[in-house]
Amino acid sequence: MQVTLIQGLLVGLFAIIAGVDFWLEGLYLFRPMIVCTITGAILGDLTLGIIAGGLTELAFAGLTPVGGTQPPNPIMAGIMTVVLAYTTGKTPSTAIGLALPFSILMQYIILFYYSAFSVLTKKLDTYAENVETKKFARLAMLPTVIVALTYGVMAFLCVYGAQEPMKALVNSMPVWLSHGFEIAGNILPAVGFGLLLKSMLKAEYVPYLLLGFTAACFIKFGNLMPVAVIGLALAFIEFYHNKKQTDNEKKLRAMIDSASESEDDSDGI
Amino acid sequence: MASNTPTETGRGKLTKHDVRVLGLRSIFNQSAMNYERMQADGWTLAMMPALKKIYGDDKEGLAAALDANLQFINTNNYAAPLLMGLEASLEENGEKRSTIDGLRIALFGPLAGIGDAITWFTILPIVAGITASFAKQGSILGPLVFFLVYAAMFLARMPIAMLGYNAGTKAISKIRENSGIVSHCASILGCTVIGGLIATYVQISVKTRIHVAAGHSISIQTEFFDRIFPNLLPLAYTFLLYYLLKKKNVSPVVLILATFVLAIVFSWLGVL
Repeated sequence: MQVTLIQGLLVGLFAIIAGVDFWLEGLYLFRPMIVCTITGAILGDLTLGIIAGGLTELAFAGLTPVGGTQPPNPIMAGIMTVVLAYTTGKTPSTAIGLALPFSILMQYIILFYYSAFSVLTKKLDTYAENVETKKFARLAMLPTVIVALTYGVMAFLCVYGAQEPMKALVNSMPVWLSHGFEIAGNILPAVGFGLLLKSMLKAEYVPYLLLGFTAACFIKFGNLMPVAVIGLALAFIEFYHNKKQTDNEKKLRAMIDSASESEDDSDGI
Repeated sequence: MASNTPTETGRGKLTKHDVRVLGLRSIFNQSAMNYERMQADGWTLAMMPALKKIYGDDKEGLAAALDANLQFINTNNYAAPLLMGLEASLEENGEKRSTIDGLRIALFGPLAGIGDAITWFTILPIVAGITASFAKQGSILGPLVFFLVYAAMFLARMPIAMLGYNAGTKAISKIRENSGIVSHCASILGCTVIGGLIATYVQISVKTRIHVAAGHSISIQTEFFDRIFPNLLPLAYTFLLYYLLKKKNVSPVVLILATFVLAIVFSWLGVL
């Protein structure tokens, strides 16, 4: 399948919207779930977009911009997964792997911008000092505009420009290689989950992880809702338990305080 | 200005509408993200109309407030409207500059922790896990539910800002006291769901068969691993990655590439 010029431009336009959304963390249109679906719709294969969206969303579940870090780019990953699956006819799991270089390229561009935009701070200080609010607002929005344009250009070039060489590359791949990409696509969510655990797992949470794992292994249900409900129940049990404990500690402290006070009184007599 | 009725301290008063607008403007928090002072420039851009209204003709006060807000800040994007609302109420009451700045600096870290624990480590895995199961079957319900959840979260910035504005100074001790327990409980929920996600969405299946007798072979996957415990390999591999990320400080990009190399090698060997 071929991506037409109009489709390439539309994907570029959508990348601008999603790019701004990611920069500001607004409506989460930048998550692969939405990016893939819209890209699929633009290419005329909505179902492919939705399926790729589910897979890519999970692969990127742990790759989050927490604390000002910058993960491999979810927008380029989402767009290119759908585009490569569409143009080469490979499965979405295979295409996730092929899309990865584009995603990492964009990650490094954004990292460069984080450093580059530091040059604006001096000028912003001057505007603030002189209370030139209009100029301040314009300059503080400039990075967003630059980022938006970068997304549009990058997405268009990757989607429209790179499709022929990518197609040639993919078609010349032996079966074991493309099968390898597919396996990797299926394992990839493990990296995301590992990253999530890196930020939140402590020894005391391991039992909960095992409970969730075991529940999902043996509860045969279409989605993860039962596991989420079990998790919610456990969280509430712990919350009330903890609350009671804090209250008891407070009461105990108050009792000790009043006891020592009355002791002081008797000593005084 | 009729709406700019001075408070006892002689400063302008914000209406409910102003606070809601402040909540929506908190979207600008990352508009000028940079390594020097992270969100501070965008933070100030978001606060600007509220500060302008509060300070009115007091240009000197406004300049001092803008300058103070331009110092380093880095917090969670849903905690930002809470902190902005809180700061707006303090500015309005004419608290001392040092008090306001001290509180903002003291609170953005803990609020980032609790906000990240709830939004990125709990809500995202749950929403992603549930909507992906629809999406993988090609159902539009997946992306649709995903979009609706996050549209609602975006609109929640308005009540969150209002919450911060109304809470005022008495909220600070409460935030400090409860942030620990709330992120603890969010972590429990998050870890339970991630356990489920590992079992559901990481797929490793060994193809190798062992020949036990002529014309008879057993599959390592179904006759061995699956009999011990289902999804044993996905759990083991996730823990290996966790270990490398946490204890060895390996970069995630390296692990992604290593996963590809391993997958391709095992595919070539015919093991996976």
